[in-house]
Amino acid sequence: MSERNDHKVVVPIGPQHPSLKEPGSFKITLDGEKVERAVIEIGYNHRGIEKACESRNYMQALYIIERVCGICSHAHTSCFCQAFEELAGLEVPRRAHYIRGIVGELERLHSHLLWLGVAAHEIGFDTLFMYTWRDRELVLDLLARIGGNRVNYGVNTYGGVRRDLESELMADILRVCDQLEEKLKYYAALALTETTLIARLKGIGVLTPDDVRKFSAVGPVARAAGIMADTRIVEPYGVYQEIAVTPIVDDHCDVYGRTLVRVKEMLEAIRLIRLFVREIPDGPISVRAPRKLPVGEVLSRVEAPRGENVHYIRSTGADMPDRVRVRAPTEANWHGMSHMLEGFQLADVPIIIAAIDPCYSCTDRAIHLVGGGINQLTDWESIRLHSIEQYKSRGIDPSTIKMREF
Amino acid sequence: MLLSILKVLVFPGLLFLSVYSLVLEFVDRKVYARMQNRKGPPWYQPMADMLKLVGKKVIVPSNAQKFVFSALPTVSLAAVCAAFLCTPVWGETAITAYSGDLVAVLYLLTIPTLCHFLAGYNSHEVYSTIGAFRTLTQMFAYEVPLFMAFLSPAILAGTWSISGIAAFYHAHPLYALINLPAFFVSLLTSQSKLERTPFDAPEAETEIVGGALVEYSGRYLAFFRATAIAELAAVASVLAALFLPFFTGIAWVDFALYLVKTLVIVLMMVLLRATMARIRIDQTLRFFWSILTPIAMAQLILNLFLRGGLGL
Amino acid sequence: MNVEETILALNTHFPALAAVSPRPLRVFTSFTEPKQFEEALRFANGTLGYHKGKHIVGTDEGEEIGMSYILSNDENVLLVLRERVPKNAAHVRSMGELYPSLVLHEREMVDLFGVQVSGLPEGPRYPLPDCWPEGEYPLRKEWNPAFFNKQTTTYEPPKEDDAK
Repeated sequence: MSERNDHKVVVPIGPQHPSLKEPGSFKITLDGEKVERAVIEIGYNHRGIEKACESRNYMQALYIIERVCGICSHAHTSCFCQAFEELAGLEVPRRAHYIRGIVGELERLHSHLLWLGVAAHEIGFDTLFMYTWRDRELVLDLLARIGGNRVNYGVNTYGGVRRDLESELMADILRVCDQLEEKLKYYAALALTETTLIARLKGIGVLTPDDVRKFSAVGPVARAAGIMADTRIVEPYGVYQEIAVTPIVDDHCDVYGRTLVRVKEMLEAIRLIRLFVREIPDGPISVRAPRKLPVGEVLSRVEAPRGENVHYIRSTGADMPDRVRVRAPTEANWHGMSHMLEGFQLADVPIIIAAIDPCYSCTDRAIHLVGGGINQLTDWESIRLHSIEQYKSRGIDPSTIKMREF
Repeated sequence: MLLSILKVLVFPGLLFLSVYSLVLEFVDRKVYARMQNRKGPPWYQPMADMLKLVGKKVIVPSNAQKFVFSALPTVSLAAVCAAFLCTPVWGETAITAYSGDLVAVLYLLTIPTLCHFLAGYNSHEVYSTIGAFRTLTQMFAYEVPLFMAFLSPAILAGTWSISGIAAFYHAHPLYALINLPAFFVSLLTSQSKLERTPFDAPEAETEIVGGALVEYSGRYLAFFRATAIAELAAVASVLAALFLPFFTGIAWVDFALYLVKTLVIVLMMVLLRATMARIRIDQTLRFFWSILTPIAMAQLILNLFLRGGLGL
Repeated sequence: MNVEETILALNTHFPALAAVSPRPLRVFTSFTEPKQFEEALRFANGTLGYHKGKHIVGTDEGEEIGMSYILSNDENVLLVLRERVPKNAAHVRSMGELYPSLVLHEREMVDLFGVQVSGLPEGPRYPLPDCWPEGEYPLRKEWNPAFFNKQTTTYEPPKEDDAK
């Protein structure tokens, strides 16, 4: 496994490694304990999502986009729907915007809680890991009640949302917010006072404001360097046009700063959820969306928990997109990774990698891997046959509808 | 003669050690889990883990020296068992009490660490090599404060025998309070010796995948695991004898007291493990050399002064 | 540099780009030849202050491959500069020294669209697996996943004679 030249050791971290929750390969050249060079190899999760979208109609593409990421699925569909609505010229009802906002902020909460747990685990602080993941369950249960699923909620649709929030559910959301706020304040205090935590996080993985510009970093990584790169503020969309987000920045430029930013963002998310629930207007939750888009292209962005999420759709007037490009936030944060790793210690590598909250699936998007595992997948035809059966049992016969060959 | 052999083999010797170390591991894991808001394992889990490991296939790396690779687990377990026999469990005196056994115990407890290093170095694998060197680096960090902290009560008592030290503090219980700083230092250094969080950089799972023992499997790994938990029992016993020496003179009450004392020490170690993050190896070095070593040194000088100057 | 200033500056110096802004904070331009594109990119980076390279969107334009470089500045305007290269001789120069963050996306163009990028720093390919066969570019429109054999990693589209 090890290669030696010039008395330097190359340590492979990944594709399978306990500190990586998803496959990615980091070849770390060590000089003693110091990282001299880091080569990043990603792409293990390339699933061909963009190609798949090009051969599906918009409604089907939405379901694929929902599955770009397991954590920030709502951010991806929000962005995709927003792009679609912009091109189609749809006016989304206000209530739908608010529901999107509530689900989006809940998602931010659970994503950041997940991150805090993973980060704590990387530095061997398993107690904090267990605590945050316990608290994350509260949010996941809420999301499961809203959307029926713990991760892919399927709340968004073109022209609005698919599920309304009953007043009972909103009361529960507020209750969970109260419970979580108390715990989050404790974590914030912990992050500010726990000596070993600070000793491990401070001063490592430095990315200065200039580096942020050079490597085009987004999200908490940029905000920890004092750059206010929050799409909800620089380009307010949906509910954020009505309710302003408090900017959260930090000037530590390191992993510690990213931790503080995320913890504060969770408290801000709770404030926003409370506001949204209080201000949510009555009315319809969706408008009818067309099946086809007019010719055109659109570049849409939203703020996912990990940063700015950019979707590009180009339409040729058909019911299928001509090109879909998903630029997930993690993809933007990879560029500065080697720079962040070099010069620090091997012990810091896992936490520096974790500090951008990497989501490999998001980055790679897009074809199942060559060789193996194919027979475990259900192919498109059998899913279609299954759905035809389902509809037939309800008295509708969709089998005459032709499926587009690709 | 037969009685002595039985004492060594059964109680309070090796059989007791194996049972009690499993109990301590269970307490360690259960309390750790409860502190983390988890349910924790059932009481037989350490035993089940051990049996399962023993039954697993052993894989020896092709470029490792086979004899050394297979001998190291046994050597380290034997050293820990020998150390445990020198600590008082039943009554005030250990089975094998002799003058100067404290120093012997400290050296015996160093052997597992060296075995870890050799095991990692002999595996010829990048993670295990890094783990091995971290083990050795960490040993250089904690060994000096550990020795000074463990020897402080001995100097005050004027004897180098663990049983003798226990007897001295039994006679003068209040003197034990003088050793509180040394107790604090020895708790932290023991935590480091046992490679438990926050000093578990040598086996940091998320960085170097378990460190020195990454190539070990099956019964060899089981032996190393047994070493680790027996070491916990042995260190807790030595700490109890040196720093918490309260005896009644009635053998079974002393045994109960021994159980309470070791459990208290293990609980303190679990608390340390549960409330801190793993610190880096360079931070470990700095912490031990710039904070713990001066404290231990001050304690040592104080005890020398008390012993000699005040003629205790 | 806000949207209006950007459009004015671009249209003054590069009328062929025909910069327009369909909505706030967006500037789209039309496709140009690689040479003019490179000048425009340097202009955007140097004079206009678009220091952040966001990403590259590759598109299949029939006989050509389109590459849309999405840049951004401190005011968070998204500027789309594009170039077009023929499919059978797709060759561009790497913009890595101007925008280090675009290197990964250039590698993506190499793998998914078959655009040769000269001047790329050494490094692993992205995002396709190492055993991916040469000459297979999944995001070109004529490439159909149905004809890709996952076991032998060969691509066998039916010949037109067979279809008849």
